[in-house]
Amino acid sequence: MFDSILYGFQVTFQPINILFCAGGVLVGTLVGVLPGIGPAGAMGLLLPATFSFSPTSTLILLAGIYYGVQYGGSTTSILVNIPGEASSVITCIDGYTMARQGRAGPALGIAAWGSFIAGTIANLGLMLVAVPLARAALSFGPPEYFALMCTGLIIVTYLAQGSVLKSIMTALAGLILGSIGLDLITGLPRFTLGINELSDGVGIIPLVMGLFGISEILENLEGKLEREVFKTRIKNLMPSLKDWSDSKWAIVRGSFIGFVLGILPGGGAVISPFVAYAIEKKVSRNPEKFGKGAIEGVASPESANNAAAGGSLIPLLSLGIPPNPIMAIFFSALLIHGIQPGPLLIRQNPDLFWGLVASLYLGNALLLVLNLPLIGIWVKVLKIPYKILFPLILLFCLIGAYSINSLSFDLYVMIFFGVAGWLMRKFGYEGAPLILAYVLGPMLEQNLRQSLLISGGSFWIFVSRPISGVALGCAFLILLSNVLPSFRKQRQKYDTFKE
Amino acid sequence: MKSLDQTSSLFWLLVSVLVFVEAIRLGVGSVHSPDMGFMTFGASGILGILSLYQFIRASLRKEDGHALPLFAGKFWKRVIFVILALVVYARVMPLLGYLISTFLLMMTLYGLLERKKIWLVFTASFVTTLFTYVVFSKWLSCQFPEGLFGF
Repeated sequence: MFDSILYGFQVTFQPINILFCAGGVLVGTLVGVLPGIGPAGAMGLLLPATFSFSPTSTLILLAGIYYGVQYGGSTTSILVNIPGEASSVITCIDGYTMARQGRAGPALGIAAWGSFIAGTIANLGLMLVAVPLARAALSFGPPEYFALMCTGLIIVTYLAQGSVLKSIMTALAGLILGSIGLDLITGLPRFTLGINELSDGVGIIPLVMGLFGISEILENLEGKLEREVFKTRIKNLMPSLKDWSDSKWAIVRGSFIGFVLGILPGGGAVISPFVAYAIEKKVSRNPEKFGKGAIEGVASPESANNAAAGGSLIPLLSLGIPPNPIMAIFFSALLIHGIQPGPLLIRQNPDLFWGLVASLYLGNALLLVLNLPLIGIWVKVLKIPYKILFPLILLFCLIGAYSINSLSFDLYVMIFFGVAGWLMRKFGYEGAPLILAYVLGPMLEQNLRQSLLISGGSFWIFVSRPISGVALGCAFLILLSNVLPSFRKQRQKYDTFKE
Repeated sequence: MKSLDQTSSLFWLLVSVLVFVEAIRLGVGSVHSPDMGFMTFGASGILGILSLYQFIRASLRKEDGHALPLFAGKFWKRVIFVILALVVYARVMPLLGYLISTFLLMMTLYGLLERKKIWLVFTASFVTTLFTYVVFSKWLSCQFPEGLFGF
């Protein structure tokens, strides 16, 4: 492993990869600070520009964006009380209170350091877990893959905010959406409505940009556009010894919680900060401090979201299963570059895997070195009025959607899903289960059909094989837990907490 | 929320029926030999059942007295205007080319919230269009349509 990571650093320290890594974390931070565009939008925007570069450089760029977004989101949470990203929602509670108490500097500082430490722990976990898991996954067949994907989808719907029923419905809509295009086995078109451009299916970039980016802008346009940046002099970005003493275990716990939840399909970076915050409050000797500017309330969720970002790479790189919508874009990027994600990826593309792992260390360090001194610039970005920002963000989304295939049709797709996403928000439906089901849909279908062909039409194959049996058993228990009154009460408490 | 849930569940019910019919037309096959419409048949079937369940559940629920109307009191006309602007942009970009159509779109969007300082709207639109053209077309080699005028 030591040789492998050394090889990874050789790959990462090529000038082009350093440039991509630095560019990725800077763009990611900017995107995290700006409302509307989101990591998926930024990735979609820059993806066409990477077509002439190697897949390793592309993945390094995308990973940099993903990490940077987690960091940038905390800045808006702390200074404006508006989370730049969903993963930073919980940071608002204590981060903004700290800023109001004149402690914006230590809050931003501990968020950065916590992210750095958590990112490093997650990278170590990625190195240790991904390779053996990929080796084990070589023995997986279609029933195991089908069961794992089913479990993933059920966890996503369970962890989604609000109604589980609505989440399941959007996941089913995602499955239907994913089946548009040529049939995987017969090669014949289906659900294309006679539109040639739909033969390749609905593009993920226009879909994600529409559902997350455009819909958020439309939602923002409906309300007041002014936002107030808290006016304070940001000083003491380096946390004091007492701050460190208060936060050290919060960072460690947040890192582990984030990493484990990141591996599980579902919320990843979005869910883990909530869980980490709740646990931190529970184990704290002074739980009454939470909500009143406790530094642990910043350190724990910020560590968790960064660790989850690292953890979520594991199912993608070792199993070829994207656990969340952002990983679905990674998945698409790999396919665009002619690389099939799956258990053979690490063995067949060691430069890609180890280069990516090493770049995560570099990216984390760059985030710390570049972004703390640049905090003044991010604050200035926050002060740009939304009436100037929103046309820019819309234009970036349009460019990103268009430039993948140079087709106006993709613009219509993005606008359509933008409006759909805006309405979904109004009606209380979440976009994440739809996106994940859309990505997993074709794989799920292929594995289901192959399994049934293998078993001669018997569904028993999914239960009789140990891994698929256990996975489906877990999925069943998760579904069942939602029906049981005691679990429903817990879930209602969790939803109230998130709101 | 009650009427919202009723409306949305009826929408999903309609979607599920349409997909269900199309899946049957494509061919469902059997469990021994699943065909093209096999999974969408199942997915649309479950979606239909869940939509019906949600509709009934919402109908039996008491109306929430605090529920706000979907669009009242908000700047939803602004949203409709932006959506229309985007659709027109998608339509005219291949004809007019990136530079002209983007400039017009930016004028429209900046002008939506800044009506007094037209010179500012003009300058911002011009700079944005030129900047994105140089960055994405020249530096990042994205292919934008040239349109009728060849630029």
